[in-house]
Amino acid sequence: MYREFLPYLIFLTIGTPWIGAFIVWVTSDNRPRALNFLASAFSLIAAIAALLLLDQSQWTATNEVSFQLPMGPFIGDMTFVADGLGVYLAVIATVIGSLTVIFSIGYMAGSAQLSRYYALVLLFIGSMCGLVLSGNLLFLFLFWEATAFCSYALISFHNDDPKAVAAGIKALIITQLGGVGLLIGIVIAAANLPDLQVSTFLAQSGSLPSNILAVIAFSFLFAAIAKSAQVPLHVWLPDAMEAPTPVSALIHAATMVNAGVYLLARFYPSFVPVTGWTTIVITVGILSALLAAGMAIMSNDLKRVLAYSTVSQLGYMVTGVGIGAIFQSQFYLFSHSIFKALLFLGAGAIIHELGTRDMREMGNLWKRMPQVAIPFLIGAAALVGLPFFNGYWSKELLIEAAFEYNLVVFGLLVIGAGITAFYASRMCWMVFFTKPQAAFESFAPVSSPHRPHVHWSMLLAIFILAINVLFAWLTAGRFALWLRAVLPYHAPYILHGHDPATLISWATIFSISALATLSVTILAIGAWWWRVRSDRPADVSGRMSLAIRWLDFAFNRSVSGIASVTMSAAGLLQKTQTGQLNWNTVGIAMALIALLIILVGIR
Amino acid sequence: MGLPPFVWLILWLILSAPFVYIIGRIDVRTGSRRYLAHWLSLLCMALAWVAFGRVLTDFFGAGNSTSDVSPDFVSQATWRLGAITMRFDGLSLLLAALVLTLTTAILIYSRSYIGRSEGAEKHYALLLILCGVMIGLGSAGDLFNLWLWFEAMAIASYPLVVFYHRDRTSLEAGIKYLVQSSAGSVFILLGISLVFLSTGSLDVLEIRQAIESAPTGTPLWVIAGVLFFIGFGIKVALVPLHTWLPDAHAQAPSGISAILSAVVIEAGLIALLRALSALGGASSTWGALLIGFGVLNMILGNLIALRQKQVKRLLAFSSISQVGYMVVGIGVALYLGTTAGSQAGFFHLLSHGLMKGLAFLAVGALLFAVQHGLGEPGSEENHHSLNIEDLNGAAQRYPIIVLVFSLALLGLGGLPPLVGFMSKWQIMVAGAQANDTIILIVLLIAGLSSVLSLGYYAPLINAMYRRNQATVISQGRSVPLSMLIPLIVIGISIVILGIVPILAGWLTIPAARALMAAFGQ
Repeated sequence: MYREFLPYLIFLTIGTPWIGAFIVWVTSDNRPRALNFLASAFSLIAAIAALLLLDQSQWTATNEVSFQLPMGPFIGDMTFVADGLGVYLAVIATVIGSLTVIFSIGYMAGSAQLSRYYALVLLFIGSMCGLVLSGNLLFLFLFWEATAFCSYALISFHNDDPKAVAAGIKALIITQLGGVGLLIGIVIAAANLPDLQVSTFLAQSGSLPSNILAVIAFSFLFAAIAKSAQVPLHVWLPDAMEAPTPVSALIHAATMVNAGVYLLARFYPSFVPVTGWTTIVITVGILSALLAAGMAIMSNDLKRVLAYSTVSQLGYMVTGVGIGAIFQSQFYLFSHSIFKALLFLGAGAIIHELGTRDMREMGNLWKRMPQVAIPFLIGAAALVGLPFFNGYWSKELLIEAAFEYNLVVFGLLVIGAGITAFYASRMCWMVFFTKPQAAFESFAPVSSPHRPHVHWSMLLAIFILAINVLFAWLTAGRFALWLRAVLPYHAPYILHGHDPATLISWATIFSISALATLSVTILAIGAWWWRVRSDRPADVSGRMSLAIRWLDFAFNRSVSGIASVTMSAAGLLQKTQTGQLNWNTVGIAMALIALLIILVGIR
Repeated sequence: MGLPPFVWLILWLILSAPFVYIIGRIDVRTGSRRYLAHWLSLLCMALAWVAFGRVLTDFFGAGNSTSDVSPDFVSQATWRLGAITMRFDGLSLLLAALVLTLTTAILIYSRSYIGRSEGAEKHYALLLILCGVMIGLGSAGDLFNLWLWFEAMAIASYPLVVFYHRDRTSLEAGIKYLVQSSAGSVFILLGISLVFLSTGSLDVLEIRQAIESAPTGTPLWVIAGVLFFIGFGIKVALVPLHTWLPDAHAQAPSGISAILSAVVIEAGLIALLRALSALGGASSTWGALLIGFGVLNMILGNLIALRQKQVKRLLAFSSISQVGYMVVGIGVALYLGTTAGSQAGFFHLLSHGLMKGLAFLAVGALLFAVQHGLGEPGSEENHHSLNIEDLNGAAQRYPIIVLVFSLALLGLGGLPPLVGFMSKWQIMVAGAQANDTIILIVLLIAGLSSVLSLGYYAPLINAMYRRNQATVISQGRSVPLSMLIPLIVIGISIVILGIVPILAGWLTIPAARALMAAFGQ
């Protein structure tokens, strides 16, 4: 492979989905086969281009610009940089993107407005690649907003359903609030730095006055919290499950929600000196990891369980960035995208078949849908961190780093792993093994004795992901070497004092932290098994769960409280628009008097 | 001494209008109804563009694009007739370009929208006059003359606002507009007389020289400035002087709403800046005032828009908030004395003109399509305005209109890569350069209100892309090409300007320089 191809590969990765989005948009809804073909083809081309970027000959450092186009004042140069942090996220976005598109062939069959669906998905894939490959802060922001818009439009895809519309608006407003944080941070950076390049920022942030750097750091953190659905702004993600399931898998599990983690990791070297920044990052991460895992135990909606689980797993990644384990956190992100996409797509196949998302109406699917059950269980095992799935390695490496960093952080993360194992066991039990709960049996469509036929496209996507869950961890060492080679600013934070070759080794397996985590995990699974044996209900209740439920309620209430305060403020203001001429003229006179008092009276 | 081309342009537009009216009237009287007035007005507009081409070559021939505004250029661009001073600078150019573009779009568009309804010939003639008057307003060089153009603009627009003069709500809106504008013009006149009293001059440049040489601290000029603020501020819809705007913009025919929102507001702003530039000595005070009004506008406009059910009223309140952004940008520029802010503010002026013009035209097109279901406007019968629910599922029947409308709305909401984002971005960068905590808070408010604005733009777009159609939509008629063409052209331009904003630089950079020069910075 020649290096000259690099800019073209970048353009193929970002541009092909966008061109595809346009072509799909103008294709008629009445030609579903053409739509399926076009969407898959364009996403696959992007995926191949992104995979070619992984080749060693294309390795590029953060400060090496692959493409540059001057755009005039206020913007600077539009640049794209294909360094390690960006490329592997682009690979995840395009590969999982094309798998979800393929999955959609079966899942969305017969659905109306298919062209709008595919166009938005492709637009999203392109925007996500743009977000991570962009070397200019402004363009990073542009793509950031574009992903938020696609997420909104896809959550509200079934826009005749008021719940979907409300969930979409909620997600849009909260992620846009984060967007404001990012914008303010970038604008301040732009005003204080010679240009808008990411590499300039990383190189020269040390010369910024410390208060300005702190404002930027916390603005970016706020943006990341909103985008990656961290506590207390996580409330949009569970509601976002109104989206079609492939969208949940792609946007709300594997890619867009990682953008916040990406942002934190990308600018970590600059923000480390800011007082209190890393502490707050770690606090947010751990709170999210634990609280969301607790909420996942309470939920009976299969997709909501997975959504809470995503929040919790993202909490691990955020914590990882906070403790300076950039590689471990990114490797975690990589593994999580694969197994969570697998879980969501598996859930999608189940929901598609049963027509319900309520786990209480499921059960016995192990017998009925083994072709989905096996991959789903593989994904769940990776989520729990059973050896030797990809989730195991990423979790052990991250927790090992936490062990070296601080014992309290380590302890909390291990507890989180236990809760994860508990809710994952509960989920798998309710979906696959037990009978539907008596109260829900009448709704449960268990009557059909024959094994349901799952569309080939759905199975194909699920199987490819399952194989990756089994083997993707083998790349860990090479991944670490690559990140070390291409991230000059991050180098001190990538496996400091470790040898990438020993990542996957017996030493890791038998380290104290790994053994501790594994035993807590097995204990938690055992606890669920004990509950099942002693015939306790699958609905978990108790003082602890009440507290968590109350907390979740409080978060949701505070969000809707802010919304209703805004609306009532608007209502009050609307009363000032009386429509009566007399009052209008009074307003003019008052403004005149007020201005005169302010300007003349004060002198 | 020959007239400079910009005077020709203004005179041509104003003087040709009566002929359009008379010939149109004859056309109606003889009953032939061949759209004569429409064709004639388009012809006049085409000739006006030729004249504008001359204006451009003159303007850029003077080397204004490359160097700073030189005294030579100022004297060259000035035209005097007795006490009347006209001066065509960057500000005038920006306004003229925007006015001509939108008026042309609306004239093409009106063929079907206004069609042969009663008073159509009046509508075309008044549009031409309004166009000429606004270019005149932009190039007025002395205060009294500025006031005259300003009044002429108001007078030309009243009959257009009450075009549906059988409709009570239209009349009410017209009366409000009339009374509040007149109140404003009284204040302006008072302000002018105060300035004239103390300096003995009306030419903007001479006044400034007189003020700069005079001992400072005379509150008379401050009072005059406040009077200008209130007087012109009514037209600009600065909060709390904005109360006429939602009624007028919602009740006028959509083409006129587009002109009112996209150009008349902006023309008022330029008039305000021109008048204040005479009192330029205290420019940081004026800058701070503009920023203050901008914040009020953004908050109030966005919050009230959240609760609107009628599409056109929603857009009207959104105009109030968009004015806030412009004013903040220009306010920052005056406050700090940087060109960047004013360039950003003027870019937003331009982009808002295009986006809001497009939005109103698109609503007009949809209104045209479903009018049958809503009842004819201008009749006393129970015709109701276009509500958001009436647009449910519009995308399936009117895909192009809904697409450009969505682009305009998303642009107004500040989503990249549309032009509305780029202009807001420039305002923010310019503001952040101040490194001033208060300005940063203002920017934060601007960002947050942008988010808030998505709270009403997004549901509107969402409704249009629904699958279940509203009955009025499913019974709607098809929209003719003459209405679609302006929509498509403006729609493409807001995307292109969003991606390559420097394309507007030939307008915004001279305007920003002219503003800074006018304020002596």
